Amino acid sequence: MKFLESSDGNVLIVKVLENRITADVAAGFKEGLVEYVKKGNRMIILDLSDVTFIDSSGLGALIGSLKAMGGNGELLLSGAHEAVMNMFKLTHMNKVFRMFKSPEEALSAIS
Amino acid sequence: MKILLVDDDPIARAIHAMMLHSQGHEVIEAADGELAWLLVQEKDIGFVVSDWMMPNLAGVELCRKIRAANFEHYVYVILCTSKGAKSDLIEGMDAGADDFLVKPIGPEELRVKVRAGERVLNLQRGLADKNRELATINGQLQSAHKLVEEDLKAAAWMQQRLLPQPMQKAHGIECLWRLEPSGYIAGDIFNCFSMGEQEAGFYLLDVCGHGVPAAMLSVTLSMVLTPEATYGSPLMALDPSTGTSAVLPPDDAVRELNRRFQSIDDRYFTMIYGVFDLRSSTIRFAQAGHPGPILMRKGAKPQTHGEGGMPVGLWPKIVFDCFDIPVRAGDRLLLYSDGVTECVNETNTAFGEERLLSYLEECANVSLEHLLEGLISELKTWRGKNECADDISLLALEVTDDMLEP
Repeated sequence: MKFLESSDGNVLIVKVLENRITADVAAGFKEGLVEYVKKGNRMIILDLSDVTFIDSSGLGALIGSLKAMGGNGELLLSGAHEAVMNMFKLTHMNKVFRMFKSPEEALSAIS
Repeated sequence: MKILLVDDDPIARAIHAMMLHSQGHEVIEAADGELAWLLVQEKDIGFVVSDWMMPNLAGVELCRKIRAANFEHYVYVILCTSKGAKSDLIEGMDAGADDFLVKPIGPEELRVKVRAGERVLNLQRGLADKNRELATINGQLQSAHKLVEEDLKAAAWMQQRLLPQPMQKAHGIECLWRLEPSGYIAGDIFNCFSMGEQEAGFYLLDVCGHGVPAAMLSVTLSMVLTPEATYGSPLMALDPSTGTSAVLPPDDAVRELNRRFQSIDDRYFTMIYGVFDLRSSTIRFAQAGHPGPILMRKGAKPQTHGEGGMPVGLWPKIVFDCFDIPVRAGDRLLLYSDGVTECVNETNTAFGEERLLSYLEECANVSLEHLLEGLISELKTWRGKNECADDISLLALEVTDDMLEP
């Protein structure tokens, strides 16, 4: 899974460079995110603006990454497309992850 | 290296044999092509240096015979000619000669040509060994693959047996279903059953991911999700004082499932579980991260119900909500897995909920059987050449009038 990283203070912004987060890439997706957590990142904004679809395995990987933070830190999401947003609403994951229109909006919410 | 030296001229043969000996080779001599051909067949010979012009069988003919015999090992052939004419070379190459020597042959020339041939033979031997090794591995892989495939077929058969009967009836409802696994076995499962005196329960669930790991959990769940499960059904509440059990409200049942099935590897499941109470003509649903049920009622547009909810197995302390749909005889409900709405066509467009709803609207007067069959073929058409990425399951219910109060 390819990511584009940037940082703003102690906040890591990770852009997912993939259109579909599905069963076949979910493991790599989680591995990548858990790696950021292992490196000590505790505030991560995940930019989903390139992602047009996420399936149940992709969602599982996202939740697994959040759990890897061990309750210490936050994974924020930004730029979710409609189909992705619908998935989060159906599973009420929009109540687990704070969701924003853009990384900038997410940044100003936590600063 | 063992070399067969063929020449009808005893002097030339003796000279060349001496050269080859001194260069460290084992030499077998033949006085003509016919004899050489016998030796090639009998002895394990990989290298031939042969004169061209010979009685009985000429060098070029010997070469043709060797090539036609198609020995298991490669035979490297050098033809010796005193002419060196271009047309001869072409004929020799056409017969399958690998190299040529022009008489008279000097020791150095012989040494380098033989060494070049030896290199080719070594390469060929290496390749042959690799090929044999690969063939063995390939055979092992094929039998392993066959074993896995047979296991999967057996698992698919066992999973099929857990599914409801065609046209299964429970209190006040009858149900029909379709299951199209993306592989042999599915992570989707569903059922429909009578509970107690006046109730019927039905569910459809989708374990995230697909294939064997998802199917193992879905099979486990289907064993647990019956009113008569051996170790205390999560769908029923036992009253220890009376020894009787009552149907749990669906939200409590899903909460109990969530308590029992906490994920250890991000493998949660989504489900929709309904309990139809004939006394109140109401279906109470719990919706755990699963697409909401679609109500189809005569004279009304099909409508999706429910506001979503968290999937099962992610966190221990989730509260699940429920909602009621009052129903009457003739009402139909469709429960489905997201493999339906997420089925993509060749341009990566999902089938989607809207297309599903309008299909169902067109099928208002069609039998449930045809409705499901038609939907499956609709999805196949939509998918085109795409593989089925996820399991597709459909559970359709119709409220019957035989037990409803007027």
